[in-house]
Amino acid sequence: MSLLVELNNVGRDFDGGRIVAVDDVSLAIEDDETVAIVGRSGSGKSTILNLICGLDRPTRGDVRFEGRAVNGRAAWAAVRASRIGIVFQNFFLLQSLSARENIEVALLGNLGGASQRRVRALELLAHFGLAERATLRPAELSGGERQRLAIARALANRPKLLVADEPTGSLDVQTSQSVMSIIGNLHREFGTAVIVVTHDEDVAALCGRRVEITDGRIRSDSRTTPAPAPRSANP
Amino acid sequence: MTELTLPLRGLIARPLRTLLTILGIALAVAGFVALTGLTAGVQHSFASGIDENGADLVVSQRGAFNLVSSTVPRSLASGLSAVPNVEAVSGVLLNITTADDAANIVMAGWPAASFLWKDMRLLSGRIPAPGDKWPVILGESMATALDKRVGDTVELQFQPYRIVGIASFSSVLNQNSAIVPLEGLQQLLSREDVFTLYEVRLKRPLDKNDIAVARSRLIAAAPGFEVGDTEQFASSIRIFDLLQAIARTISLVVMAMASVSVANTLLMAVNERTFEIGVLAALGWSPRRILRLILIEGVIMSAVGGVIGIILGALAMEMAAKTKFAAGLIVPYLSGWSIAQALIFVFIAGPLGALYPAWRATRLLPAEALRRI
Repeated sequence: MSLLVELNNVGRDFDGGRIVAVDDVSLAIEDDETVAIVGRSGSGKSTILNLICGLDRPTRGDVRFEGRAVNGRAAWAAVRASRIGIVFQNFFLLQSLSARENIEVALLGNLGGASQRRVRALELLAHFGLAERATLRPAELSGGERQRLAIARALANRPKLLVADEPTGSLDVQTSQSVMSIIGNLHREFGTAVIVVTHDEDVAALCGRRVEITDGRIRSDSRTTPAPAPRSANP
Repeated sequence: MTELTLPLRGLIARPLRTLLTILGIALAVAGFVALTGLTAGVQHSFASGIDENGADLVVSQRGAFNLVSSTVPRSLASGLSAVPNVEAVSGVLLNITTADDAANIVMAGWPAASFLWKDMRLLSGRIPAPGDKWPVILGESMATALDKRVGDTVELQFQPYRIVGIASFSSVLNQNSAIVPLEGLQQLLSREDVFTLYEVRLKRPLDKNDIAVARSRLIAAAPGFEVGDTEQFASSIRIFDLLQAIARTISLVVMAMASVSVANTLLMAVNERTFEIGVLAALGWSPRRILRLILIEGVIMSAVGGVIGIILGALAMEMAAKTKFAAGLIVPYLSGWSIAQALIFVFIAGPLGALYPAWRATRLLPAEALRRI
């Protein structure tokens, strides 16, 4: 068990300081944790997630990954490429690429050789029940399939940390169950730390730690026993 | 999937814009190839036209502005003929005019006793004889273009000439020329005591050393004049430098416009694909890799546009050369060097245009890019 991500007195302002999205947040996450960041819409939880992944730059404070301060776009890109997988609410799949290529695109630069990338992509597609959908474009997949593909892509480089921003936000109840089942088992199956931003209490309950955000500040931070992941007959 | 997959898909996803940009690059390259090729073609045509008549060396005015403005005095002839190893010397008077006011034509005035008549391959008729009044031999292509036969009349330099023969030549310049007796042309142009140049034939057999020795002796016999082989003569004419300078300047402007077109297309593509760039950045693509992605798109468009442009340029030269007014004066000439120059241009101009959009793409914070869905 070691420290993975550390936010030290981090703040993020927008519009020249008129909007304070995140204010004085300090948070340390270990490499074996599953964390739910919860809060209402506009509370600043997604901004915190962006700061954890280096997708955004803090106005104040600093963000450390594996004990080291990461500065600059290139340095953060290198960390994301090898250590962090991200799953977005709206999947953010590239429409011009097939399901397989959407995974391969994350491997470019990390895994040498087109054939190696192809094998890894097919392996992940098979794991998430998408082997038959490898050549289809995202527009030809169902919502659940797209989210599973997005999760597969996030895991392509065997990250130490997987972050998911409202992973069930765009899905119907039945598909949400399937995605929750996957997220609930990610840490066990892939050994990654997981941070989920959600306003869905069922999703939050799958995590061993719950951080509640209100008006850009941490209101509570507690550890609980995670609920068992729901079973899904149709992954 | 390779590094090329995404740029190619990006270009294919916007076919009209990609095609229009490629067309812009292709037209710029075609302009460059055609302009520089035609300039070189005119030069090459003059050289091969003189070469074909059997001359080994040419004596002309140093730094003459154009082909017909060179002036060499009649008095030089005896000195040149006396040079050892010189077989024959022939003064030639050249003029560019119109034939029947329908086509541009090069008129060459040859002395009656010139060695130049010996190698002429007549298709019909004969060479001018003493006593012929204003006789002319037309090159085959010009005769065909004007629909003229032996016995017909053609107006040259406001003077009706009677066609006594039609000759076949290998050079385009000669195929579209009119060869007349020297004296008549001198009279028409009021240049009785001068020629445009001397064509010098050396004794056979010849090797490179013989030519070099003869050249240095001819230079001594004609101090202050240009002595060289036909290619050297053609390249010493200053108008070709001017034409090349104009062609290169126009080409540079056109290529700069093509570069702006690439920049515009890629800038629009970058703006439209901000989200995609954000996703790639979120996946861990480095700014350098994203920069390369956009640059590759620019290079692909430039390469395709370059190849199409070279083909279009070659076709444009062929078409320009086939017009009646250009016949014989403009000759398509596509050299490996002009193709290389076009490709060098394109591979500088294209990526240069792509550089700014690519740089802009790397300046975006991923979170900012992803907000712009």
